[in-house]
Amino acid sequence: MSEPLQEALRRSFVSLEKQREVWRSVLEECSPLMEALGNLAEQMSALTRVQLLDTPLRVFPQLEELLRVKLLQAADTVLQRLGENMCRLQSIRDSISSQASALLQQYQQSSVDLTMLTERSATVPSLADMLQWIQDAERFYRQQFLQRKALLQTLRPDQLLLLESAPKRWKSLESPSADQQITDSLCRLSLFIQPQ
Amino acid sequence: MQRVKLLLPDPADRGSQRCRLGPGLMSALSLRLGSPLLVSVPGGSCLCTAWPRSDLAEGFLQMDLKCIAPTLISQPPVHLSLEPRHLTPVSCPKLRGVKVTVVVQSAGFRKHTPAWVVHELVKDMLKGVYVHKQYVVNMEDYDTEIRFVVIDGIRPDSDSAGMVTSKTAVEISGIQTLRHYKSQLLDQHTPPLGGLDEVSASLREMLQLPLMYPNTLSSLGVSCPRGVLLIGPPGVGKTLLVHKVVGEVGASLVVVRGPEVVGSRPGESEETLRAVFERARSAAEEGPCVLFLDELDSLFPRRTGSSAPENRLVAQLLTLMDGMNRSDRFLIVGATNRPDSLDPALRRPGRFDREVIIGAPTVQQRKAILTVLCERMPVCPRLNMTELAQITTGYVGADLSALCREAAMHALRQKVKGSGKQEVEMKHFLEALKSVHPSSLRSSLGRTELSSVLWEHIGGLDQVKVKLRQSIEWPMRYPEAFVRLGLSRPHGVLLYGPPGCAKTTLVKAAASFSHCAFLSVSGADLYSSYVGDSEKALALLFRQARSCAPCILFLDEIDSLIGSRSNNQTPNSVQTRLLSVLLNEMDGIGLRVLERRGTGKILQTEGVQETHTEELDSQEVCNKDVMVVAATNRPDCLDSALLRPGRLDHIIYVPPPDQQARVAILKACTRSMPVDPDVCLEELAAKTELYSGADLENLCKEAALLALLEENMEASSISHTHFLRSLSKMSPSLTAQQIQAYLSPSR
Amino acid sequence: TNVSLRGTNLRCTWITGSARKIRDNAADWHNLMLRWDRLNDEGFNLAASIVNMSSQGDLLVLDTCPPPSQSTSAEAQQVAGAAELQDECLKLQDVVDRMVVVVKKMEHLVEIQRGVLQLEEFQFGPEGRRVPLCLSWKTREFEEMSGVLLAAFSQELKLKQTILQEVAHTMTSDLSKVYLSCWLHQPFIPAATRLGLEALLLETGHRPL
Repeated sequence: MSEPLQEALRRSFVSLEKQREVWRSVLEECSPLMEALGNLAEQMSALTRVQLLDTPLRVFPQLEELLRVKLLQAADTVLQRLGENMCRLQSIRDSISSQASALLQQYQQSSVDLTMLTERSATVPSLADMLQWIQDAERFYRQQFLQRKALLQTLRPDQLLLLESAPKRWKSLESPSADQQITDSLCRLSLFIQPQ
Repeated sequence: MQRVKLLLPDPADRGSQRCRLGPGLMSALSLRLGSPLLVSVPGGSCLCTAWPRSDLAEGFLQMDLKCIAPTLISQPPVHLSLEPRHLTPVSCPKLRGVKVTVVVQSAGFRKHTPAWVVHELVKDMLKGVYVHKQYVVNMEDYDTEIRFVVIDGIRPDSDSAGMVTSKTAVEISGIQTLRHYKSQLLDQHTPPLGGLDEVSASLREMLQLPLMYPNTLSSLGVSCPRGVLLIGPPGVGKTLLVHKVVGEVGASLVVVRGPEVVGSRPGESEETLRAVFERARSAAEEGPCVLFLDELDSLFPRRTGSSAPENRLVAQLLTLMDGMNRSDRFLIVGATNRPDSLDPALRRPGRFDREVIIGAPTVQQRKAILTVLCERMPVCPRLNMTELAQITTGYVGADLSALCREAAMHALRQKVKGSGKQEVEMKHFLEALKSVHPSSLRSSLGRTELSSVLWEHIGGLDQVKVKLRQSIEWPMRYPEAFVRLGLSRPHGVLLYGPPGCAKTTLVKAAASFSHCAFLSVSGADLYSSYVGDSEKALALLFRQARSCAPCILFLDEIDSLIGSRSNNQTPNSVQTRLLSVLLNEMDGIGLRVLERRGTGKILQTEGVQETHTEELDSQEVCNKDVMVVAATNRPDCLDSALLRPGRLDHIIYVPPPDQQARVAILKACTRSMPVDPDVCLEELAAKTELYSGADLENLCKEAALLALLEENMEASSISHTHFLRSLSKMSPSLTAQQIQAYLSPSR
Repeated sequence: TNVSLRGTNLRCTWITGSARKIRDNAADWHNLMLRWDRLNDEGFNLAASIVNMSSQGDLLVLDTCPPPSQSTSAEAQQVAGAAELQDECLKLQDVVDRMVVVVKKMEHLVEIQRGVLQLEEFQFGPEGRRVPLCLSWKTREFEEMSGVLLAAFSQELKLKQTILQEVAHTMTSDLSKVYLSCWLHQPFIPAATRLGLEALLLETGHRPL
């Protein structure tokens, strides 16, 4: 087996484990924000549905407009904080991406042939498998990030239904099975990672 | 090297652009892990990266269809086995720039999402993907609104493929909706259309002008037409025409079929209709769009007094059409075969501004249609399309295609039986003609099974035959001679004469010789207990006859059908009313617009037509009328108005057979009978003065029966005595007085 | 540059007189608004629980009507629920009462401010003093700012009082939601009021420049 490539892979997987933790914590921060956003959307649509003129609030002529402005401001604040979190997610994704592409480049420049690449033992998976896993993980994070970003960027204050369903859709983007696959591959690598 | 079997891609590889190969094949192709590879499958190819299979098995191939030729979108390759030569390694340099068209799911996303958002997303999605010029990158695995990215071009364009990196500049040249994109893909293979060149050109012009050059039109201050109504009998290709023209112009098509719109809840239909217009409007933002309402009459019938749900639907359509403003760059095309039942409010400028009438095809058009239809059939090279077109009068496009199918089936059956080559010949078409009839004549009351009668089957009457051929057969056969001499085809022929003298048979023979449609009615067909029904039926009959002209309309026993005004009948009896209908139809002021043949000249075509087309044209001109052939044995009962020139202008007397004729008739009748050589037909003819043709036929029958009676079913021939004995039992049906009455100047 | 120069020069005049009064007023404004915010939070929680209870109460009534055997316990439950609701309403009433007190105090502050202004007009004529008391604002501007703040809060108080009257009797969930979001987001206290207060604090030297 090619030692330098193996070493690079080991380092990448160690860092991948760390990045996953950060990713998870950022997502945890995001979910209450999404809830808040959905809540605000709900309030806005309630405001739209209620005819204030038919309620005791008719004595406040400007109320509807002022409240709407307040709600929009609040939504803006939440979106801003979500945006900050997205930046953190992006940096995680970028670092995983660059590691994956660097690994592939390192392999391409090396003289590892197909037999070496596909050789595996009881404790150490083959280089091809490991390259695949790191690429799969990279694809997973890329896809996750993109989906979440697309979701946030297509939100518009005039589409209340879209805004209201945002938390649910945000939650549905979680794909536990793909995440589990990364966990599985990291488990299989535990013996390979640990000795160092 | 062995072949590899193409399996479905591994779900775990979805979106990875990997192509899983056995390591042996990889090293044979000198591929490394991750090297780009072009896999050719029937219908297109797929660009992917080579990866060893995790089970290291050889002989299988699984590829993720990330970057594929557009044709593979609708039909992904399955169950194939590939040869190694189908796999070609390609060099994929890092790209400096890539120009793409983005295909998104919904029109709302396309409309409301800012360009930079789409750009960012697409750039992220494309990163690390190997792309090929003119291919499509499938983005469905991301599960966002962006479904496909079409690679329009790459820089540097020295290679056909390359890799997108984070440094690659992504330029978005356009955003389309998935529906629009798919319809464009489909439009690339529409069937060719025969014989509708003129009308399709005019429709194309109507589509192109306002849709392609809206600014020019508005600068001229012309408001573009919003709606086009296509009118024509069923099967002339209205629907096909719209599909075809829309495809050619590159417009997107929103089709509304009747049942899709109509819903059971009150207000549901209107809602659906509004949604359809909304869909057309959003599609129109991406480019020209046509909203096609097929079978318009079923959806928007004439409004009635009561508050039927259709009334509301009609009102909704009117509102929507009026609500279209100039910025809505879409055109509404409606198609109907019953324009009269449409609500009249729809047919005014501002709604359906233009009406294009597509009539039943002319000879030329039929020839064109047949040529198109036969293009993909292995037809015999000797097949004469012109002849086929001539004998298929009244057939519309759908009928012709059914005809071709039937002919091909006949050819196939013959081939299965082992005889004949796999070629469709004229005889197959003639066979098919027997089972495929023009659809315009279906359920027509005068439609008759015409067993073909040859002139030879009718004995004698040579002069009458000549006259009939003059008036019926010649205009069909020698149209140019008629045109040259400025002759017009006779409008009508009246055959009169004593009963049983082969008037009906003569007409049949004439019809079967001239290959034209033949409708025959008798009194019972027309009479109805409702007032006005009979007249309507007769008018309808004429309309159908005109739709498949040249046509012979045979009114047998016309005296019973149509009365005379001079007779002391009540002036309002059914007969007199039928008479006036008949007179009107025979020299009415030309055709109704809807019954026009062909398409009429909408666009002035330039240039001189070829000579043979002229010939066909002249034939068309001479024969566009219906020829009325009437037969009666009481000419004195007919109204004199019917008999004047221009109506039943050829009046032919069919005399009772003279002696020579009787010989001929007897010969014809006994042709299929085994008669003894001693039978002397001349003698019989001499003895049968005043016998009509029918009488003579009866005589032969009687003689044969007598022979059977006497010789106990074992008779093998009929002898002269049989004839004489049966003759002695019979008496002629005609009298000298009767004949005298015919011969004396009528009235 | 002129303003900041003068500001540094006049830092010593904070100690007594009108300047002192204005400075103390600003601090009071700050404290009152903090108290208001605390009351608002408290009130929101109460209002939210009232809304929840009244909607649940309805469900309870609907659910328990058919079986007569359980009616006594259900009634008891209902009675208990009503009592609890009553209790919460009283607490909310209390919160609003305390808000009334806050607004009263704010009115007092505005009066003081007006007094300072009148004194100044008496001393220096209608033009007011040439040199500003604090950094840059004229005394009139302080008075105007307090007026704006008071107007916002008293309007908001009216809204709160209306909500207090109605929130327990509202059947439609949409309207309840609107009441709650009105209470929470305080539409009559726009972000500008907070900024005004910050400006006031900055002007009077409570916040470092």
